[in-house]
Amino acid sequence: MSVEAAGVPSPGGRPLPGQEWRGAASLRFFVAVLRNRPAFALGYGIVAAVVVLTILAPLISPYDPIRADPEAYLLPPSLAHPFGTDNTGMDILTRVIYAPRIDLVIAIAGTLVSALIGAPLGAAVGYYEGRGPIGRSLSVAVMRIADVLQAFPVFVFAICLVAVFGQSISSIVAAIAFVNVPIYLRLMRSQVLSIRNMRYVEAAYIAGASDAAILARHVIPNALAPALAQLSINIGWSVLLTAGLSFVGAGVVAPTPEWGSMIASGFQSVMTGQWWPSVFPGIALGLTVFGFGLIGASVEALADPVQRRALVARSRGG
Amino acid sequence: MQMLSYVGRRLLFVIPQLLGIVFISFFLIKLIPGDPAVLMLGPNATQAAVDRLRDDLGLTKPLVEQFAIYIGKVLQGDLGTSWQTTRPVLEDLAERFPATLELVTLGLGLALAIGIPLGVAASMQRRGPVRKVADYYGLLAGAIPDFWLALVLIFVFYSLLGIAPAPLGRLDITLIAPDAVTGSLLVDSLLAGDIEAFRSAASQLVLPVLTLGLVNAGPILKMTQSTMDRTLASDFMRYAEMSGLPRRVIRRQAIRASLPSVITLVSVLFSVTIGGAVLVEIVFGWGGAGQYAVQGVLNADINPVLGFVIFSALLSLAIYLVVDLLYFALDPRIRG
Repeated sequence: MSVEAAGVPSPGGRPLPGQEWRGAASLRFFVAVLRNRPAFALGYGIVAAVVVLTILAPLISPYDPIRADPEAYLLPPSLAHPFGTDNTGMDILTRVIYAPRIDLVIAIAGTLVSALIGAPLGAAVGYYEGRGPIGRSLSVAVMRIADVLQAFPVFVFAICLVAVFGQSISSIVAAIAFVNVPIYLRLMRSQVLSIRNMRYVEAAYIAGASDAAILARHVIPNALAPALAQLSINIGWSVLLTAGLSFVGAGVVAPTPEWGSMIASGFQSVMTGQWWPSVFPGIALGLTVFGFGLIGASVEALADPVQRRALVARSRGG
Repeated sequence: MQMLSYVGRRLLFVIPQLLGIVFISFFLIKLIPGDPAVLMLGPNATQAAVDRLRDDLGLTKPLVEQFAIYIGKVLQGDLGTSWQTTRPVLEDLAERFPATLELVTLGLGLALAIGIPLGVAASMQRRGPVRKVADYYGLLAGAIPDFWLALVLIFVFYSLLGIAPAPLGRLDITLIAPDAVTGSLLVDSLLAGDIEAFRSAASQLVLPVLTLGLVNAGPILKMTQSTMDRTLASDFMRYAEMSGLPRRVIRRQAIRASLPSVITLVSVLFSVTIGGAVLVEIVFGWGGAGQYAVQGVLNADINPVLGFVIFSALLSLAIYLVVDLLYFALDPRIRG
């Protein structure tokens, strides 16, 4: 029965198996690309490892992340403390594993908020720029404000924002979101400006689609690729910014485990030769940002038609 | 003539932007909780004394009026006083801004010296070890926090090997700084003929400059490589190749055609690093302008922050003007 059904081509039955097949094919394509570009696989591997370690932190970490053992301060790396202990006697390995709970959450939340504000705003600005005098003057106003925001020294601006909102995790998220909004605004606007004049947008307009429908169904989906590639890279930057804020004392407060404040607390010890309190959190931080950068590069390569075609050709051949 | 009008238009556009920046930072810093009058007088001050000082500082006036007064003073060249250093902000910045400027200029110079040759080499050699090294270097340099790299360098060269001097400022503490002429210790010590001070200033600069250079070489390398790639694939370069020009000539032409976008990136990096070098400044106890501004934010000291914002905005403005002039020199199409 089933053999017969498979043998007889039925027009109604085709789409469903076809869709399944496409899902499997894109997975296989993805694997082939990763095999072809091992650096991309490394990126996904690093980020996956960080996420898994973070979720499992209470199960796998040997000590309590915020309990200091005054007897065991500044111990060099050993079997009991693979990354050593810091100047208050807290286990560094444990704290390095726990840190992404703060760092990643702040960075991902801040980046998502900025993209969710910046991308639609940028799309609207780009779309309405050529639509009458009101649209144009509003667009110009938004872009000038973005110019002013971007002319600020980013770091001083972020510290100001944290100081205004009070030192808490949500205000660090707000600061990161704020300094990143202009990036998405600009990316989306420039994409939409070129897409707006496409034939298919014109066709939708003539067919009587509303502005909202054109934006949501035709413009934004086609303009999204660069913003998506930016997302991953931006998460990496935001981790760096969070760590920097904590380093000057305007971010996460000790003893909460966070890479930047850990590096800062090991600052004095480095001068006297105890390198481990600062070096290990820095390596973890750098690796994580590196991983997000590689993912961003892979999204960029897959979103760019020219690069994607080259990748497909090579993946098929090899 | 055409160039002058271009520069004039540019200035016209920048003044409202500058005003916007000062406006936003003024109100932002005013929003920061913390009363400068209380902080200045300390915890034991009487309420009457605090009120009197608030009155003297003009803090009881409406914010808009305070802003107008501030702008009026700035236009006369008065950036106010910092209550932390109890000195005019202009004097403080005149001392600290050159320190930051010297550091950032040398750091970006090193970044160019690493980034451009590596980017060019990677682009001329599509498949090969140089390309791989360049790819990974670009990503790694963007991933490493500069303040951490600074600490690692200090550990290796100061704590471990003992080659580098202690990271405690711009000059050995036993030496007397030469008279300030340009603000750059390297130049001033040479002008004063003080070789010992020159040597000390240079050795203090090595590690922070290395930090900034290594980190900033990443984006310069990436930009050089991607622009070179695009240039080499363009029709006029393929034509040059087909005409049988030697590789050396092709490379020179491609570099020249790629320079404008590299220069743009450097100008952006420069204005970003002026504020962004603050972490490296803190690690090396540099006493630069960024550090001064951050201290201001953390202590509700508004004038240093505004002064810093104005200074760096003016500097970015100057840099963008220089970049525009360089475009005129480099790109014959703009000269028209």
